[in-house]
Parts: sequence; structure tokens; C-alpha cells
Amino acid sequence: MNAALTTAGAEVTARGVTKRFGVRGQPVTVLDDVDLRIAPGEFVSVIGPSGCGKSTLLRIIAGLLDADEGSVAINGETVPQAIRHKTMGLVPQTPALLPWRSVRDNVLLPTQVNTAANAGRNLLDVDELLTSFGLGNDLRKYPRQLSGGMQQRVAIARAFVFDPPVLLMDEPFSALDEITRDQQRLGLLDFWQSNRRSVMFITHSVPEAILLSDRVVLMAARPGRIAEVTEIDLPRPRDESVFLSPQFREYEIRIREGLRRVMKNVEH
Amino acid sequence: MSSTEKVASAIVELEQARQPGAEKAAGKSVTRAVPKVSAWTRWRFGLWIPPLVTFVLLGIAWEYVAHSNPFVIPPLGNIAESIANDPSAYWNNLLVTLKEVAVGGGAAIVLGYLLAVLMCEFKILERALMPVVMVIMVTPVIAIAPALVVAFGFGMLPKYIVTIIVAIFPILINSLAGLRAVDPGTLDVLRVVDASRWEIFWRLRLPGSMPYFFAGLRIAIPFAIIGAAVAEFVAAGEAAGLGAMISIAASQANLEVTWAGISMFCVLGLLFVAVLTLLRRRVLWWDNHGRAPK
Repeated sequence: MNAALTTAGAEVTARGVTKRFGVRGQPVTVLDDVDLRIAPGEFVSVIGPSGCGKSTLLRIIAGLLDADEGSVAINGETVPQAIRHKTMGLVPQTPALLPWRSVRDNVLLPTQVNTAANAGRNLLDVDELLTSFGLGNDLRKYPRQLSGGMQQRVAIARAFVFDPPVLLMDEPFSALDEITRDQQRLGLLDFWQSNRRSVMFITHSVPEAILLSDRVVLMAARPGRIAEVTEIDLPRPRDESVFLSPQFREYEIRIREGLRRVMKNVEH
Repeated sequence: MSSTEKVASAIVELEQARQPGAEKAAGKSVTRAVPKVSAWTRWRFGLWIPPLVTFVLLGIAWEYVAHSNPFVIPPLGNIAESIANDPSAYWNNLLVTLKEVAVGGGAAIVLGYLLAVLMCEFKILERALMPVVMVIMVTPVIAIAPALVVAFGFGMLPKYIVTIIVAIFPILINSLAGLRAVDPGTLDVLRVVDASRWEIFWRLRLPGSMPYFFAGLRIAIPFAIIGAAVAEFVAAGEAAGLGAMISIAASQANLEVTWAGISMFCVLGLLFVAVLTLLRRRVLWWDNHGRAPK
């Protein structure tokens, strides 16, 4: 693989992002003045209780929702510009694969639309990419022939295939069972460590966030806001032995305490 | 493995064992033992014997009633005889009805799907047209048909229009639902890379709507046949088509011709359903027909 590209990424900056939804005429502030910066090639996890607006924040950065106030910039570009240039790859909560396309063709999908933005970019070799995701023997299979974990890996490969500098992952492993989930986390960790891009990763799992991230952003609900940010200073490349290190335990305790504080404030 | 799958895999094995090339390719001339499959499995008796029994029993019951009450239904033999005596009359009437179903139904399919696409892409069109669609849909076609005959005469046109009116709704409603029922996750993935509306339609909505479209076809095709029959009943003066034939024969208490016409409708319906099933299998091989995945 091209060595120059292994630590490519874009800077993502969200400033003062505020979003309100009207629920039965009552405006609810889902995001209140949220600032978030993801450095080029940085892996940032966002964790928090349901309703803290983490998915909303991701959707605003992805351009799938508009913020009421504040701004988002991706390498100095606006979100619509970034979208036009295919700067971001999205991994949704469910694999969302097309049942009539083979694994290979599903992964190729983002390269087949908005082809003008493919010019001058390093489209990854699909077969190679899928092989590195452990799907080398399944290229010609169809989604329904794959397990849930394999399907989610296809969805991740689909986000990586057009080599976007930014990856947005919205709880990609939440629908998997715990054993499969562990396997998927390590797979993603492995792949990302050799293909560093800026990642915004939403999760409900504290160990998952620590294992993968450079920074863990804890959000609080009502109104959705950033409560704490924890730098994860564990050496890279990491592997599953991280789980055994004392620092990992410390981070876990610290973030869990933060979560508890955040949850307590919600209960009146 | 379900029993049907077992049967299917047994058959596959059997076919493979029969392949003459299999041994040759392996460089062997030994006669390979054909896996032992009982005649029951081999001929799939379980699939076609039960319906066959039902039909035979129904036929016996029919003959019994026909012979004891000759003025209610005619014996099957007489119906067949009526067709055999004048096959060209039946054939010509069948062709007229077939043409109505094909043209009217075909137009309904094309228009229905196009309208669904337009309504999906332009919400304002749906707002504007859906109420009209509803009004026409809830009005019984049998009530509209005479008015159409008055307006358009006894030719083919009112028949096409009646057929289109009945057949278009299942296509339109189902296709619209299908075009909208795309996976929101896939839609997000495509939007983030700035896929155009056309690209989203072509790569996602069009193929994704096919199971719904085919479900609509399954309803629309029998509806189209009903439409053609109704139009012919109403415009019987034209005296062409199976519906007109049945209507005239019934008014003259000619049971053989009446039932021969009805059986022609059956054949017509089955023909269309068979074609549809084959087509669906080709187009929707990826859809698991509502069966549990894997």
C-alpha cells in the first residue's frame, strides 16, 4: 500500500453546533453549543447516554442534517463542499447492504456514484481491501449468505474503498453479539492502524472506545453537550493485550465515573 | 434443512451424479454409484400429487352435480366438445380479450410505475394526484364502464381504459411504497458521497422497488383480466371477446358456451401468472420471497 497515504486524514472542526427539534410544539435542544475537533488521522470516539445527541452530531457533520447554529468545517471546506468532493465515508448502524449486489459490488457502490469526485484519488483495490478484512473468499457472495459480523465488515470496507480522509461510524457494532463485536473491533483497529484516517466513532461501549481511540468524548443529555474529553495515551499499534494493561483499567474507571455523573444529572 | 430443501439438494446431487463429464473430467471410467433416492423424492410426488387429488375430486363432484342438475352446470365433456366443435370462434374471442389485457394491462404497468416514480421524486405531484387516484380507486369500475362506453363507443378504446383503470392502482401504490422503502442506511451512505437523485434512483430505488412492483403485478394482472371482462360485458353490442361471448351465451342459457368461455378466462389468467412467476424468478433472484434468510 502507498506509504504516503497511510496517515492521511482531514481536520474536522465543529464550532458552536446547536440543534433543536420540535417535539409536540415544545422545542427540545438536542445539541447545545457543541465544539468538537478531530485532528487529521485522529480516532475520536463519542460516548454518552441515549438522547445525548451523539448521532445527531454525526449526522450534522455528515451533512445529513443541518445545524440551527454553529458551523462545521472539513479541511477548511464547508460540509456541502466536502460531500461534493467525497471527503467522508459513512458506516451506518446497520450494514445497509444491497441484497442484489455481491459483496464486491456492494463495496464498489460509493465509487460508482458522483464519479467526478473520483478523479485523482486513490481508489483502493476492492479485492485487496476485502481480503484484508478477512473476506477474500466471499467476494462473489451475496449479503444474505454472510453472518452479521461479516456484513458489517463489508459496510466498513465500503466506507474505506474510495479512500476518504474522514470516516464517520455510527455505532457500527451495536447490532452484533459480544463475541463477534470483539472480533470486529480488533479487525477495525488493525485496519485503521495501517490506514490512518480521521475517524468519528459513536459507541455505547466504554472498552470499545478506549481500545480504538486517541480521544474519548463523553456527552451529556438534555441538552446534548460535551461533558468530558479523555485523551487515551496508550501506545500504538494496539492489540487485545491493551485490555490487560493497568492504564486501560484506569481509563475505564475514569470514563465510567464520568458516565455515571452524566447520568445522575439527568435523573431529577 | 427443510424438507423441500432436502428434496432440492437430493435432486442436485442426482443431477451431478448423472453428469457424463463428471467422471471423464476426473479421469475415471468407473460407474459411480447413483445415490439412492426413493421414487417419492425423485419425482417430487409430495409437490404435485396433493393438488392433483384435489382437482380430480373437484372434477368428480362437478360431474355428479352436472348429471343430476343439467340446468345448473354442464358436464365437463360437453364444455370440451363445445370448444372442439368451433375452436376458431373461441380462439378469436380469446385473442380479442388477450389483446385488451395485454395492451390495457401493459399500459397500466408502464403508467403506474412511471407515476409512482414521479410521485416519489416530486412530493408535490403526490399531493396533487393522490386524492384523484383515491376517488377513482374507490369508485367501482363496473359503475364507470358504461359511461366510458357511451363516451368512447364500442371499440377497443373503452376496454383499454377500463383495464388501465383497474390495473393501474396496485402497480402505482405498491411501486410507490417500494420506491420509498429503501434502506435509510444505504441512502445515507450514498448521500454522504453526493450521489445524484438519478444515481440514487438507478442504483437504489429502482432495484429496491422490484419486490413491491412484482407484488403489485400479482394483483394487477388478475385485475386487468377483470377489467377486460367487465368492459366486454358492458359493451356486449360489440360481440367480441370472451366476456361478450359469455354474456351473450348466458342470456341464451347456453351453459356449454358460457362455461367454455369461463374456462378460457382461467387459462388466460394462469398463463399470465405463469409468465409472471418465471419473470419474477429471473428478476428477483436476490429476494427470498418472504422466506427466512439463509
